[in-house]
Amino acid sequence: MTTNKPEESVRNGNDQLSSLESSEHRILALAKGSGKGISDKDIQNEVPDLRPDQRASIINKLLAQGYFDLFNQGGTLLYKLKDPSRIQKVKGADNEEKIVYSIIEEAGNKGIWIRDIRFKSNLIPTQLNKILKILENKKLIKAVKSVSASKKKVYMLYNLEPDRTVTGGAWYCDQDFEAEFVDVLNQQCYRFLHQKLEATRDCKGGPIAARNISYASSKDVWKYISELGISKVQLSVEDMETILDTLLYDGKVERCVTTDGSHLYRAVESLLPAPGIVRIPCGVCPVLRHCSDVGSVNPKKCVYMKEWLE
Amino acid sequence: MSTQFGALCSLILLEHFGEIVQKVGNDLYKCQSKPLRLIPGSTKLPLQKVKEALRIMIQYDFVTFSMGQLPDRAEYTLLADKVVLLLRYPRYLLLMKTQYGDEAEMLIEEILRQGKDTASRVIIRAATRLKESLKVEKVCLVTLRDKFLVLVNKQFVMRCPYPSEEKDVPELTIKEKQLYLPPDINLKGLSDLEEGKPGNPGDEGICWRVNLDRFHQDFRDQIMVSAISRRLDDNAGELLRQLLKQMYLRTEPWVATSNPVPFTELREAVRKQSSYPLLAQYVDQYLKIMEEDSSGFVSKVGDSSGGQYSLNMKTAFIQLTWATIENIVMERFGSKAARIFRLVKAKKFVEQEQIQQIAMIPAKEAKLLTYKLLEENFLQMQELRKSLASNVPNKTFFLFYIDLNQVARMVLEMCCKALYNAMTRREYERSENRRMIEKQQRIELITLNMKEQGATSEQLAEIEEMLTPPEQALLEKVRIMINRLNEAELQLDETMFILQLYLSYQI
Repeated sequence: MTTNKPEESVRNGNDQLSSLESSEHRILALAKGSGKGISDKDIQNEVPDLRPDQRASIINKLLAQGYFDLFNQGGTLLYKLKDPSRIQKVKGADNEEKIVYSIIEEAGNKGIWIRDIRFKSNLIPTQLNKILKILENKKLIKAVKSVSASKKKVYMLYNLEPDRTVTGGAWYCDQDFEAEFVDVLNQQCYRFLHQKLEATRDCKGGPIAARNISYASSKDVWKYISELGISKVQLSVEDMETILDTLLYDGKVERCVTTDGSHLYRAVESLLPAPGIVRIPCGVCPVLRHCSDVGSVNPKKCVYMKEWLE
Repeated sequence: MSTQFGALCSLILLEHFGEIVQKVGNDLYKCQSKPLRLIPGSTKLPLQKVKEALRIMIQYDFVTFSMGQLPDRAEYTLLADKVVLLLRYPRYLLLMKTQYGDEAEMLIEEILRQGKDTASRVIIRAATRLKESLKVEKVCLVTLRDKFLVLVNKQFVMRCPYPSEEKDVPELTIKEKQLYLPPDINLKGLSDLEEGKPGNPGDEGICWRVNLDRFHQDFRDQIMVSAISRRLDDNAGELLRQLLKQMYLRTEPWVATSNPVPFTELREAVRKQSSYPLLAQYVDQYLKIMEEDSSGFVSKVGDSSGGQYSLNMKTAFIQLTWATIENIVMERFGSKAARIFRLVKAKKFVEQEQIQQIAMIPAKEAKLLTYKLLEENFLQMQELRKSLASNVPNKTFFLFYIDLNQVARMVLEMCCKALYNAMTRREYERSENRRMIEKQQRIELITLNMKEQGATSEQLAEIEEMLTPPEQALLEKVRIMINRLNEAELQLDETMFILQLYLSYQI
């Protein structure tokens, strides 16, 4: 922010205005030089010919323009230079806007809810709404709809990519969970692993070799799915692993960890076929709890039994 | 012991032994044990009838007696578990038929029919029945006796305990070494008896009964072998069978974990059989796969003599119970619910939010299914508060978890209820169509008599026509229905068997 140009003018003339301006620049240069911030004393040493009232006016001006942050350290006031890129953005904005902006900035790519901004800034809702609108129009911030609550909007800086927890990652399209997409992927992954397992049936190299063939890494599955071209969005290997984990919880595949920490998957059969109890209607009966010898739900008149026996 | 179990028990007693035994059985089920004098009062039956009923149930080992609170007064206790085992008798017979042949089946059936009996009487009755069914003049008594000895040797039948000393309430005991002592049967006396002449087979007073535990042991092994065959392949199944055989040489059959079996012996055993050439080639590899499989049936415990392997019966049945219950959840609530169920199983304690995220199920559906499972008691919920004070606003976590023991017991209850329902329905169908069934039986009887008298085919056809086509169709339908229900009862019993075994290993 500072240049060497003013030094010439100091040499050239002792015009009041230019000297004030030059001391301003010198203060700025000093602040830039020290990362920790400068105290009032530092300024006095740097620019000894400045009167206290002049010094105060310069500092107030710089504070108002947003060049400085004010800190209190051990009783003395410290002035610290702000990050220049940030000043640029809120230039020309009033104090409230700056505060709101900094609150939103703090929230990062997770975003922040309007109510939390209100609590932090202590602004009244109408004013806050107005400020948010202004900032949005300036393309400094943006509103993103969260997947966890469809009506909840969160604000974040304009240039940030929303976090996965906000957008839900590849599985969400306009805040809707794409259950069908997940199901299709789930089936395709299983098909791939099942084919691998089938291929080992006539493997000649012994059971261990056969088992090792039937294993597939998440990367293999990812490649297969990418080549199938069923997905319009680009899926990552991690996305693939979340899908494979659903298969794991379906009891259709088994997972094991390799020495380098990546996961291998293979299709497995359940230990038992469907148990006897679910082969008769009582096993899946929704009103089994109400069933007894007396009353309208009883085995003699049971409609489920009747259907099953016919 | 629940009311449902009691109801099932009582229905079985009614079906097989009639009303009086049922009443006495019910009465005994309600109170743990009871002296004889109290039973007529609560059942409103004459003392003589009660005595008869008790005698019948003692004969079949459904009731035991022991010294009660009063000296020299016996108290009677109903063993409800044994009554329910009546449903399993067809499976016992099937096992005998497939593994030891028709004669063995006939012998076991005769013992089961009588509850307990002497060897000679069992053999003679089996011989008579074999003659009838095979339509031959003579059945070799020696083979039957040898078969009986084989069954004793394999511990499928055992000696009954007998009163040891004179007391007011006899105490039935038997020494362990006598349990499977083979009987000494005089063949001359046996064949004399069979021909109707007076003879002495020489085993009077020694009664035999069926050792049901031995059958259960075989069922258990079958389940494990078929599970491994499903998971891996038939070779692995055969290997497990060999491993079980080796295990019995050095381990009590019902312990939770077997003593280690050395690899070298196992390899020898596998080599001796020839039907699985691939297995003999890769014994070590198959063992390794079984050991590494998530089912955890087999584990390696040492390295001496080529590796020591032991079988984990308890783990195996925990796994099998999980598989059973997961399947039930799947069929009852759909595959998405099964996914949630398995997820909770894997994570032990988990929050609702996490469930929907990991299971990749839309939030609304996931919530619905989770709470449905909670409502039906397949899942349990644990509340976790940060502080116990009720007036402070604090965050409370609700964690879902599964109590397998409780779920297994609940499913067992469901099985009892389903069995009860199937039996009730079967009896209902039978009684609804009683007139028709009786008519058919009458007609069959007449046809049989006419045939013996040498009736012409015209006459026979005329009798056949007494049943109209719609009647015949109806009868056929009823027959199919009853068969189907019978089949369902047997299948239900298989589920019950796994759960009961799991619970017995938990104690």
